[in-house]
Amino acid sequence: MVGPVLRVVDVSKSYSDLHVLKGVSFEVWEQEVKVIFGPSGAGKSTLLRCINLLDPPEKGEVYLCGQNLMAPETNLNAMRARIGIVFQHFNLFAHLKAIDNVSIGLRRVKGLSKEEAHVKALEALDRVRMAKWANHYPAQLSGGQQQRVGIARALAMDPDVILFDEPTSALDPELIGEVLQVMLDIAKTGTTMVVVTHEMGFARAVASEMLFLDEGVIVERGTPQHFFVSPTSERVKNFLKQINILYGSHEELLKRSNEGGSK
Amino acid sequence: MFQVLPDPIKDLLRVLEYWDYILTGFITTMELYGGAIVMGFFLGLLLAILRQYGGFFLSRIATGYIEIVRGTPLLVQVFLIYFLPLSLNAILDAQGLPLIPIGEWSFQTTITIIDRSITFTILDRRILIGLLTLGLNSAAYQAEYLRGAIKSVSTGQLLAAQSLGMSRLAGIRHVVLPQALRRVIPMWSNEATYLPKYTVVVVFIGVVELFGTAHFIVGKIFLTLTTYIIIALIFLALIAIISKALDFIYKRTKIPGL
Repeated sequence: MVGPVLRVVDVSKSYSDLHVLKGVSFEVWEQEVKVIFGPSGAGKSTLLRCINLLDPPEKGEVYLCGQNLMAPETNLNAMRARIGIVFQHFNLFAHLKAIDNVSIGLRRVKGLSKEEAHVKALEALDRVRMAKWANHYPAQLSGGQQQRVGIARALAMDPDVILFDEPTSALDPELIGEVLQVMLDIAKTGTTMVVVTHEMGFARAVASEMLFLDEGVIVERGTPQHFFVSPTSERVKNFLKQINILYGSHEELLKRSNEGGSK
Repeated sequence: MFQVLPDPIKDLLRVLEYWDYILTGFITTMELYGGAIVMGFFLGLLLAILRQYGGFFLSRIATGYIEIVRGTPLLVQVFLIYFLPLSLNAILDAQGLPLIPIGEWSFQTTITIIDRSITFTILDRRILIGLLTLGLNSAAYQAEYLRGAIKSVSTGQLLAAQSLGMSRLAGIRHVVLPQALRRVIPMWSNEATYLPKYTVVVVFIGVVELFGTAHFIVGKIFLTLTTYIIIALIFLALIAIISKALDFIYKRTKIPGL
């Protein structure tokens, strides 16, 4: 493909007096994993909601594969089907079994038959190792399992890019690993991803670029190497120190991903 | 008790002699109830969706309707809908304009049960007006129950549906409503059990439903207490069945794990 999958140009957003985003720009190319991190209130989640226009930006432009999402002639529903989202609180459809959560988009949006959708949904569940839970309802699953179904729901639509909005921050610590493992797997199969997360182990393992967002602007950007070896701004140094204290290091996770990850 | 009802069994049998009247009255009550609850449900659902998602104008129109209907007596509403065409016709007549047709008409059917041939009035002008009023009234109450249930479904559900590429309307239909309609059942059962008793107001526009039948029987044999107790027991039995049935449906449709 020529050109980036996703191009965010000078996006701004405010809620009454509060300027949440003040001109954010970046590009995501095919098979890239972009990690966005920063303190709470920095505008990370708002940025993701601006990208698929669930919360349209006031200024700036968003392009998906060269197509301007803000243009009035754009069919937003069709474009949203090409942008997957994985939510912090999973947002699985509570009245549907795992398999139907994954297949509803295929049926209602992509117009697949019941049988075709079922086959594709089962494949997606298999990729997140949830196939044998296909007939369980969300309330019967753990947080980690729910989030994996959430990832399968996004994957099944074959989107151009998947946005992850702090996918592990609502999980109990012992459930984070299984979700990160699945995310590592799909990153390694070449899925284009934008991930808002504080999981530095994950970032170190697969991020092609990291963006540090604070007070609505990108303060610093660079490879994981850059951030973990020689971050320039004081703000970033401080933040990373805090994260390290809170989370400890993810030696174990890194080791697993280096061993091939897909187990 | 025995002074009020000196011979309860004999009284009971005398009232039950009128079982054919009680039956036609019961059928009319059920028709009013069934028609109004169904009409009220669909109109109420529309009002609830408009109030919740309708934007500036539509949500205000829905709110206005709901508040006016809930804020005025049902009896006034019945009279209004009954007499309004008559008043309008007086004006139209004075202007020499064509009138609203309000002549008496009715669909009836006669069935012989045991030894009696019973005439059921399926629909006439009065029943139709009663049905319309009760349905329009019930819609306002049902709308509020439904809106409460819709609001209780987390906003993330609709967001997730839209982010899959569903339109807002498709998200409401396939994601929000299936959950809201399950949740609404316990609250909605209030309306389902109130409404049978509210149907009695149509007696005032001349519909002979259960209560009207009781009135008629009392006029014939003067057994006031016995007659009204029988009518009350019929309502009690009906509502017990409705309440049990809704309980059953609620348990059957419950989302596993929740």
